[in-house]
Amino acid sequence: MSHLSEEQLDHLIDQERARKQAPLNDWRTIAARAREEGLIRDSQARSWQMGRPWLQAAAAVLLLIGGAAIGRMSVAVPDTSAPSEISGASFASVDDATTTLERALTEYQRASAFIAANASGPTTVDSSRIYSARLAALDQVGDAMEGALKTAPHDPVINQYYLATMGARVATQQLAARPVGLRLKGF
Amino acid sequence: MPFDQLDLKRAIAGDERAMQRLWSQHAPHIDAVVRRLCGDPELAADVSQEVWMQIFRALPSYRGDSQFGTWAHRIAVNRTLNALRKIRRLAKLEVDIEDDSAVTENESERTFVAESIEQAMAKLSPGARAVFVLHDVEGYTHGEIGEELGITPGGSKSQLFKARAKLKKLLAHLVDDSIPVAGKGKEHVAPV
Repeated sequence: MSHLSEEQLDHLIDQERARKQAPLNDWRTIAARAREEGLIRDSQARSWQMGRPWLQAAAAVLLLIGGAAIGRMSVAVPDTSAPSEISGASFASVDDATTTLERALTEYQRASAFIAANASGPTTVDSSRIYSARLAALDQVGDAMEGALKTAPHDPVINQYYLATMGARVATQQLAARPVGLRLKGF
Repeated sequence: MPFDQLDLKRAIAGDERAMQRLWSQHAPHIDAVVRRLCGDPELAADVSQEVWMQIFRALPSYRGDSQFGTWAHRIAVNRTLNALRKIRRLAKLEVDIEDDSAVTENESERTFVAESIEQAMAKLSPGARAVFVLHDVEGYTHGEIGEELGITPGGSKSQLFKARAKLKKLLAHLVDDSIPVAGKGKEHVAPV
């Protein structure tokens, strides 16, 4: 009976080592097990939704700023801000800008609570569909921004858009979760 | 996109997308070692699920001291060997180590012709297959194998010798021009 030589066997082993093989299970199977064990937390499926209230608050501020800007464009209100003010040149220092941001955050929270308590309308089937579409779009934008952040983690523009997306998603989720006819008492 | 620290933090937090990215990147290699150690695709699929659950459970303990793939690979080997022990597939290993009759071929083995090294590996005893896969395919030393399997380095060497001898027989029909013989200049370079 013939035998392979040591070299021939080693060659086969090399081939086996390099052989590409498909996973033994599909992800859905693995995910189902992980979900059963609580390793996947659906409510936290997107990490930026949880555990970082300061980030959400900052995002909310950016959302407010972004929303104001969009509002101006929508109603054609002329922007009278000087370029130096837009670029933040009116701040004396980073600390000064941080203090202003914190003050704006506080004001934003108060205003949000007031608006939510007094001006929120009932949720309808149509609005649910709109919220779903908006969430799907925000997911895509969020993924794109996350990808960009991996390449340029300190880019201020990408960071601002990322935070704004996060804030918009949180706000949309809150709106979408409201039962029909329920008015929020606050955020 | 490579799995990175950001993904790791998200996976620990239970982010399914991050976990899927981790799995997608490492499953081909992790599942390959599980498949080779088990020698049975159905069993391997079950064991693979346990391996991945253990990897996910253990994520918070990953300190980044080694490559993530290396860390996960070690979990895969440990978990697979434990699973095999549980179903007594390795029960014979301790006997085989000291028993030369372990390489005695029965009739079915004499008539078996492997079409691939994977099939041939499946014909090895569980213990011999574990030693062969860990040493020749995965690059473990005999000392490391001894620790994993609870045998001596000498026992590991003995099992490897027997495994290779058996594989050379089972794959003998593959001797043709497709496998280089002369002039390859390659010594057996697997770690000892």
